[in-house]
Amino acid sequence: MTMRRPIILLLLAPAVLLVGLLFVAPLFGVMSLTVHDGTSFTAEPIRELLDSRVALVVLERTFMLAASVTAICLLLGYPAAYFMSSLRPRVRAYLTYLILLPFWVSILIRTYTWIVILGREGIVNTGLGALGLAPVQILYTNVAVHIGMVQILLPIVIITCLASMLDIDKDLMKAARSLGASPAQSFWKVFFPLSVSGAATGGLICFILSLGFFVTPALLGGRRSIIIANLIDLQVHQTLNWGFAAVLATALLAITLACLGVFWLLMRRRVEFSGAGLGR
Amino acid sequence: MKRLLAVYFFLLVGFLILPLIFLVPISLSASQFLEFPPTSLSLRWYAAFFEDPTWVGAAILSFRVGIGATALSLLVGTLASIALVRGNFPGKSALTAIFIAPLILPTVVLALALYIVFLRWQLVDNVFALTLAHAIVALPYVVMIVSASLRRFDTTIERAARVLGAGPIKAFMLVTLPYLVPSMFAAGILAFFASFDELIITLFVSGGAQTLPVRIWNDLGLKLDPTVPAVAVMLTMLSIVGMGIGEVIRRRNEQRYQSATPPEA
Repeated sequence: MTMRRPIILLLLAPAVLLVGLLFVAPLFGVMSLTVHDGTSFTAEPIRELLDSRVALVVLERTFMLAASVTAICLLLGYPAAYFMSSLRPRVRAYLTYLILLPFWVSILIRTYTWIVILGREGIVNTGLGALGLAPVQILYTNVAVHIGMVQILLPIVIITCLASMLDIDKDLMKAARSLGASPAQSFWKVFFPLSVSGAATGGLICFILSLGFFVTPALLGGRRSIIIANLIDLQVHQTLNWGFAAVLATALLAITLACLGVFWLLMRRRVEFSGAGLGR
Repeated sequence: MKRLLAVYFFLLVGFLILPLIFLVPISLSASQFLEFPPTSLSLRWYAAFFEDPTWVGAAILSFRVGIGATALSLLVGTLASIALVRGNFPGKSALTAIFIAPLILPTVVLALALYIVFLRWQLVDNVFALTLAHAIVALPYVVMIVSASLRRFDTTIERAARVLGAGPIKAFMLVTLPYLVPSMFAAGILAFFASFDELIITLFVSGGAQTLPVRIWNDLGLKLDPTVPAVAVMLTMLSIVGMGIGEVIRRRNEQRYQSATPPEA
């Protein structure tokens, strides 16, 4: 059914107005603050970013945190997704509900619960005390930040890995077996290579979302766990240095968009790849 | 091997739902302090929520903003989805990407951006402006779900209505819209919770006005208030009921239209 141009414009107008005014324009506003101070062009904010040790340390920490959280999610999530892919569809559907259960509780509240579980007088330490062991400091360390973030991001990684695994033609592994491959060989030489692009997609989504985390590092981490989103918040609400906040935000946005670019290339290759044969 | 994987899988599920398991017993504790397991049970922290006007006020503000943002994003998003699915125009995929972008871009960047323009337009501490900002966060859910549902719709039904004499608007209203309503409902529920759980943008632009997440956040900075788990349990119940209803309606609709759906290409 073809639609005429004026009707299309009319249907799109409200959404474009809303998103243009309150999403696109403000984002460009922030980006422009990094090169323009309101009256004239300036390189000051960018120089400030490159001169700021704090900013560079926090940027590096954000990157490392996102990378390690992603690695943990992939290592934990891949076997889980593999297990789910081997089940009957009905059972798999129930387990998917189970995996997605945490989404029903807001991130803020899940983080709050971790404070209660991991705190000095929390459940873990009470348990250790009952066993006659010394309490451990988990809360307000990087370990707690990792636990909190993995709990939030793991379901996303599992579901993305699973979706790509279900696309793999199981007969390929049977063929490998009948041609003399061991179970391990048929997994590593046939199944694993076919599942890599899906795992990479899940990893990238996880990485991008990790970069923007705010609540978990702020509540579960210590002073030395703050990442870029927290630094932006500090610049706005305590230091009142907006130019600096804007340049930090622009850096975060640029990194995210670069990752999305990689993601897009990956998706395109995957479409071409799966369209190239493999029984379809 | 498979048994080992199964054990591993359920350990992992245990980790994922651990925070959910502890929530209810913690909220039922009678003590001033957070303790686990609670030594005695009571509903005092549930009562404390309703007795504290700042909690109730925060809940009311959250509902107001959430309902407004849901209505707005549903209206605007459904209209846009029709154009995105049925129309053919240059820049279509770019526009779709922009509508969905708030879901994946770091919220703090948008929060800062909105804060700066709201200050300039003197919209900080304005409930209507906050509602508009929340609509931006809710819009991706509406666009994704409604356009997916519209794409599955068999247009021959609508064409049949046209052949039988209905005008384009009448055909859409009487044939396609009823098909869309359940997925709009599901999208509306997700949109509502996107707004209801939103913290960072609200923290930046609300100028001190407290929604529930902001109230919880402000509390966490000071002490571990035992009212929070009680609020958390109530909120979780609300989202389970809401999303449950959405899921049931979506499934029923799918079954109803199954015979009419063309096989996936």
